[in-house]
Amino acid sequence: MNIIICGVGGNGVILTTRILAQAAMKEGFNVRIGASHGLAIRGGTVVSYLRIGSDAKGVIMPQRSGDILLAFEPLEALRQMKLLKDNAKVLLNNDPYIGVDAHLGLSDYPELDEIISRLSETQELVEIEASKLAIKAGSQVMTNVVMLGSLASSEELPIKRDTLLNTVLDMVPPQTVESNKRAFEYGEQAFHEKQN
Amino acid sequence: MKVNKNLLRNAGERVLLTGNEAIARGIIEAGAGITTAFPGTPSTQILDNLGPIAQQLGFHAEHSVNEAVAFEVAAGAALAGVRSVMVTKMLGVNLIADPLLVIAITGVNAGLVVVTADDPGQHSSQNAEDTRYFGMLGKIPVLEPMDGQEAKDMTKYAFELSEELQLPVFVRITSRICHSYFDVTFGEITPPKREGHFEKDPKRYVMVSTLSRARQPILTEKINRAAVINETNPWNKVILIDKGEITTKTNPFKTEFGIIASGLTYPYVEEVLEKTKVSAKVLKLATTYPLPKQLLNDYFEGLEKVLIIEECEPVTEMQVRAFAQREGIEVIIHGKEDQIMPRIGELNPDLVGGGIEKLFKVKFSEELTKPYLEVEEMLTKRVPALCAGCPHRATYYSIKEALRKSKKGGVILGDRGCYNQGVHEPIAGIDTCICMGASIAMASGMYQSGVKEPILAVIGDGTFLHSGIPSLLNAVQHKSKITVIIFDNSITGMTGHQPNACTGRNLMGEPTPEVDLVNIVNGLGIENIKVIESFQTELLQDTITRHLEDDGPKVIISRGECAILAGRERRITNEKVIRARVTVENCTGCKICMKKLGCPAFGWSSGENEHLLILPNCNGCGLCVQVCPQLAISIPREIQIPLKTKQVVAGK
Repeated sequence: MNIIICGVGGNGVILTTRILAQAAMKEGFNVRIGASHGLAIRGGTVVSYLRIGSDAKGVIMPQRSGDILLAFEPLEALRQMKLLKDNAKVLLNNDPYIGVDAHLGLSDYPELDEIISRLSETQELVEIEASKLAIKAGSQVMTNVVMLGSLASSEELPIKRDTLLNTVLDMVPPQTVESNKRAFEYGEQAFHEKQN
Repeated sequence: MKVNKNLLRNAGERVLLTGNEAIARGIIEAGAGITTAFPGTPSTQILDNLGPIAQQLGFHAEHSVNEAVAFEVAAGAALAGVRSVMVTKMLGVNLIADPLLVIAITGVNAGLVVVTADDPGQHSSQNAEDTRYFGMLGKIPVLEPMDGQEAKDMTKYAFELSEELQLPVFVRITSRICHSYFDVTFGEITPPKREGHFEKDPKRYVMVSTLSRARQPILTEKINRAAVINETNPWNKVILIDKGEITTKTNPFKTEFGIIASGLTYPYVEEVLEKTKVSAKVLKLATTYPLPKQLLNDYFEGLEKVLIIEECEPVTEMQVRAFAQREGIEVIIHGKEDQIMPRIGELNPDLVGGGIEKLFKVKFSEELTKPYLEVEEMLTKRVPALCAGCPHRATYYSIKEALRKSKKGGVILGDRGCYNQGVHEPIAGIDTCICMGASIAMASGMYQSGVKEPILAVIGDGTFLHSGIPSLLNAVQHKSKITVIIFDNSITGMTGHQPNACTGRNLMGEPTPEVDLVNIVNGLGIENIKVIESFQTELLQDTITRHLEDDGPKVIISRGECAILAGRERRITNEKVIRARVTVENCTGCKICMKKLGCPAFGWSSGENEHLLILPNCNGCGLCVQVCPQLAISIPREIQIPLKTKQVVAGK
């Protein structure tokens, strides 16, 4: 299985990928995470590739081979589309990060509706209001945990729900365990609401 | 910096590690006594991980003042019989070449390993050089791991090889290995030995020309012996792939097609062959210099064409081609030189697949159909920016305002560090960025060549210590009329806040003297020094304006705390950020704040009454308050400018 996790600097892309990889290792799978971050630039593009089981070969995956995209930001989701199979599952936090460069007209940020329709054209898109749910759970920092909750509910992963949740709680600061649990559950609920 | 407990797990455990962490563990398992580096992406975290556990395990770890010094420290240890390692990104190898090529001649008395991280695709570097050329240049063996497990194990082995040959050894990795994660099984930790003893032997260690000349045959003998040792290197493997599947049956397996792959490209090859069902005899080559000749001779048996896959330059390819010619082997060698593989950029499975597609009539890459291609056109790149609250933004603003008001133009020579993000619009504050320390010397060169515009050099404290000092000394001796602005946050910010000599502690966490830049600059013979807090933009502008007239080199030290560190400190002390606020009625939507500062904490409310929004990532630096002509931005606190770092001296 190939999972792509993407967002902008500060979203916790790498931590999220590590959590998933750690959980997959607990379930006995081989894993590889492909990542490359240049400079620690806030707000820059960040992506990592998680390869589980028989796909855990090279650290970069071929284009059109992704099964799942976990995207913390809409434009970044679009940027990774070429790595996805047709009908891949896309979980999207529909909260755009529009940089100063776009406000100044140095670059364009596409309309959110346009991004959504492009993604839905070839992929199975599920929008999650993860940023808002994270704030409700205690802090926007937990947006990634909301997304992981949604991903667990999607039943796409070869990882048990409790294994994933426990891995999350093991890897976050001890004083935030309660709020992270809440964030994970909000993510689960949000996914179920979308399905109904 | 925090202790990474993962690195201290027991032998036999399987741990998820980055390539950088895997190499750090390899160094620990080898029992290195001395570990050195200078911070540089992508390999910085190797020493960052070793520093905090060094004293506990009994070895020494340092981020040295520059790469040449780091290598020389390691070399001193190796002559004294203590295992040592120096870690660097590829550009640092340019700096260590001088001592390295001579240490190759003296040889070493304990393992001396240089870990070098190349950066194909230039994720974070100003070029994409291939450091394996330095192996050939200095007759230094090169080992290339393909993943985290090999990175750890081959690093450990590199010390043994170095000792067997009494020669430094390169472990060559790439940025993708550094930052990717692998499941790695641990071996035993060897306790480090630091009972150094230097046995004098001038004929060996005093490399004046006559004595060095006498040792050249020894070096040649060593590298020839290395080629023999590489014959049995356990990480060199011939893998038979029969219609996409790995097979151990040599009979009836038959193919005329060979692939030689090194580093992390090997798994790409396996994946491509599996999907395309191509048969090939694959040589996974870990010892890319010197080549194992007998192994290659055997490998070439029955092959008619061979594709060579490697990151960066055709280093293996050139050697293999020369080898085949020398041995009279009739085989066609494909690779980067005949453009079957791209010579520019980082390889990936699709590019490897593309090479195999060209040689066979097979298909690997999934076509990007219309919806995917249309999307590609919508993707604009995000422009990197200095962080919200970064003092460098204030310094750049002041420089640009001073030059704008002077109406004399101005050339700003830049350097390597966070502040080279100042190249992007809207700051657009630097005109050059070449290498560590180039700003000041190149500014001198521009002045001496008759450039009439004001000439400024901007350089951070870490880079100034690294290689700015000799350049400034040179400017003093030759009376160059330049203004040098040191962006002083007293830490190496760009690579993740490694301590430097100004910081007051070292990598192992020991308190050290806080070296004062004023004393250094003054000691170099500069009389005209001003130290100004970065956010005092009016004072900074006035000072720069005055300096534009004065002869000789002048130095302004612009001081401000790194915004990331200030934020961390606030989180520890539970201090709340007092963010800027916008008085919406006053904001005319002129966007002067955005055009001059481009702060990532700026958002924009569109609609009827467009106005600035301050986003939650505002660090409350107050620079926008100073810049807004409509007084529409304010910070609800007494002192509008954060003045907290070090005492501000008026200067002489």
